[in-house]
Amino acid sequence: MTSLSSSTTLAERQSNPQRPLVTLRGIQKSFGPTHVLKGVNFTVRPGQIHALLGGNGAGKSTMIRVITGEIRANAGDLHLQASHGGDPKVAVVYQELALIPDLTVAENIALVHAPSGFALKRQAQAALIAEEALSLIDPHLARTALFRKAGDLSMHEGQIVEIARALSTGAEVLLLDEPTANLTAAETEQLFAVLKGLAKDKGIGIVFVSHRMKEIRQLCDVCTIIRDGKTAIDARPIGMLTDAAIIQEMGQPAHRAEAQIARNDGQPVVATLTGPTIQHPIQRGTILGLAGAPEGPAHVISSLIGHGRHRDWCMTGDGWGNAPTSPRDAVAQGIGFVSGDRATKGVLAQLPIIDNVLASRRVRERRLFVGQNERSECAGLMQALKVKAGSAWDRPGTLSGGNQQKLLVARWLGLPLKMVVFEEPTRGVDIGTKRDMYALIRQMAEEGTIVVWWSTENVELLELCHEILAFDTEGQPKGFLPADRFDEDALAELTGMAA
Amino acid sequence: MNSTSNTLDTNGTTDTRAKPPSVLSTYRTELAIAGAIIVIMLGVGAFVPAALSLGNFANIAQAAAPLVIMALGILLVIITGGIDLSVGSVFSLTGMVAASAMANGVDGFTASLIGLGVGVVFGAINGALVTLAGLAPFVVTLITYAVAGSLAFIVTNGRSVGVAAPNYWLFNSGSLVPGIANYVLFCIIFLICLEFVLRKVTFGRWFYAVGSSSTAAHLLGVPVKRTRFAAYVFSSTMASFAGLLTLSYILNAESTSGASLMLQAIAAVVIGGASLFGGTGSAVGAVLGALMITVIQNGVNLIGINSFWQGSVTGLAILVAVLIDRFSQK
Repeated sequence: MTSLSSSTTLAERQSNPQRPLVTLRGIQKSFGPTHVLKGVNFTVRPGQIHALLGGNGAGKSTMIRVITGEIRANAGDLHLQASHGGDPKVAVVYQELALIPDLTVAENIALVHAPSGFALKRQAQAALIAEEALSLIDPHLARTALFRKAGDLSMHEGQIVEIARALSTGAEVLLLDEPTANLTAAETEQLFAVLKGLAKDKGIGIVFVSHRMKEIRQLCDVCTIIRDGKTAIDARPIGMLTDAAIIQEMGQPAHRAEAQIARNDGQPVVATLTGPTIQHPIQRGTILGLAGAPEGPAHVISSLIGHGRHRDWCMTGDGWGNAPTSPRDAVAQGIGFVSGDRATKGVLAQLPIIDNVLASRRVRERRLFVGQNERSECAGLMQALKVKAGSAWDRPGTLSGGNQQKLLVARWLGLPLKMVVFEEPTRGVDIGTKRDMYALIRQMAEEGTIVVWWSTENVELLELCHEILAFDTEGQPKGFLPADRFDEDALAELTGMAA
Repeated sequence: MNSTSNTLDTNGTTDTRAKPPSVLSTYRTELAIAGAIIVIMLGVGAFVPAALSLGNFANIAQAAAPLVIMALGILLVIITGGIDLSVGSVFSLTGMVAASAMANGVDGFTASLIGLGVGVVFGAINGALVTLAGLAPFVVTLITYAVAGSLAFIVTNGRSVGVAAPNYWLFNSGSLVPGIANYVLFCIIFLICLEFVLRKVTFGRWFYAVGSSSTAAHLLGVPVKRTRFAAYVFSSTMASFAGLLTLSYILNAESTSGASLMLQAIAAVVIGGASLFGGTGSAVGAVLGALMITVIQNGVNLIGINSFWQGSVTGLAILVAVLIDRFSQK
């Protein structure tokens, strides 16, 4: 591969704009008993920027994996047609960069052109290939960054390099999975300029996965919405859809009936949530939702549990001591924490279930010995949560993700806590477990515990919370939404994000 | 603020899940190693009947004792997912310091305390650099390995020192409990205490929690730094104790006496079923691993194989042990 231009000219491609690069018709895919895709239609056309929307678990990522050929569909038609005949190359750029941090930019780009992993081209040759690739989309970067290590690039520069690399292999379809999640506003604008150029001048078909309404409107031509494994809206021009329509089409429609509006009126105020610019009274048994782009909620959570360096959020009030200085201090003060990032922040994989469940009690009650009564304690908790396990001495890895998540809740269940902090507790769990989670959260709140709950799914927050604290995409708090003013549009507007 | 939930059914004692696993399944790996040790001993006995004599058992126990004690020490570090490369050097330095102290008129008991102090100090340095400075355990203990190793020469300028205190041999070979030599007694006491701590004491469980996932453990309120620090101090102090025991047996201290022991102690722990990634391992396993290494060395000697082969045979034994462990997991 020495030339970057494919065998067809731009004129030829644009002369036939109707012919799609990727066509999905009635694609179905199951994993075991779970039907993820139940008949998806999707079309990528050259020169078009296509927004792909859908709530968590709607099937977006599965669909992308079908398009890239990573997995095979159970039924339906997948038709790939390059502009010059043959299969078009499809490239995906994920949120996490796929560059090798210790190699230079030039080497990273040249890598995919080497005939085998051992035949890394000489620096000069690598630079030539890389410069050709990069100068097409960012001449400035091509001049300045070729010999920098990929690990030293900013997130934005890394993405540009990845896009350039993908295009240099002749990719005609570019799938971007939430590419702006970690970008600043200025970087996002730069990226959009590049993407628009690619679509307009080079006829690349671009698929843009994002939750951010403003960005979608800024960038995209058409919009496809996936809901529950099916195509709800197929390639509708973006101008024809209102924000409300998009939210409605994405939403598992809100289940909350008027009578179900979560209320905790009349409960005494027991604490004040204090942030850098905000002070807000919190009633006993409040379920406080945190919504919006991850930066804001993540910051609140790490502050409340005494983790991390900059802890500028805390609960104050009668009976609340100083802000916790460590998670250990937080547990001692009666603050529990449940993370949906089970693998790194939750489960102790090498330890039996019983140790996993009882660890919090051992910390909180300063137990000196591992007691005989812990066996029945653990069995009781597992029974209460309907966790099916062979034995309390099995490792947690023998359980499903949903059951592992319940173990993490079991740690705090029945303890006299002032507050439990949940961090995306329903991430990657099945719908049944989600319902159980909701019940547990309600139960904890009814017992008087304050529940702080961050979810990226606005729908579940709207269904359960008494109040929601919304953050914008820059991580700044935008204000509290009380239960009687809940609605998806209002929340989407405050957070700048759909779903 | 609120009381314990009354919706919990804690009456789960009749549930079979509440029954702890039997001793047999808990110590599956350990039983396999014990079986292997017996097979090796019988195999050696077929060539050399004297191998199965009481006298040879005593030989094996005496030779194994320092290794057993070091292995129990380093086990804690390995469970937390760390490594301690300094134990061999600390072993040597302890012997040199204690022997030199006695040569300068200090009584045996005080000299031993000074020797143990060497272990505590080096363990504290390792622990502080790992937990407070956040350096990699491999690098930290490589540094103290080098420093303690060189100090062991500096103490006497490289000369070996004989033990001056007349009754010092009693520390190793005497019998505090009638009928049991001290070197066996120490091994048994340390084994029982450590196994109890690791299984039944909350602080003991933290070693596994830290080794399994230090982030998850930290967020859960486990005192991660304190646990890690304790592991390094314990490891180093046990190495010092082993050094004193050997000094009391040989009655002579050399600057390089512990040089080969560090790798053997790590090998013993690994044979005993611990993972170098942390989170697993048991005291019984570590002791059996140390015994196995000693039995193999003893057998190679008795059969009359050139002792240069010892390392190869030990290596083979480690390979077999970890393969068995690898494939008996699932």
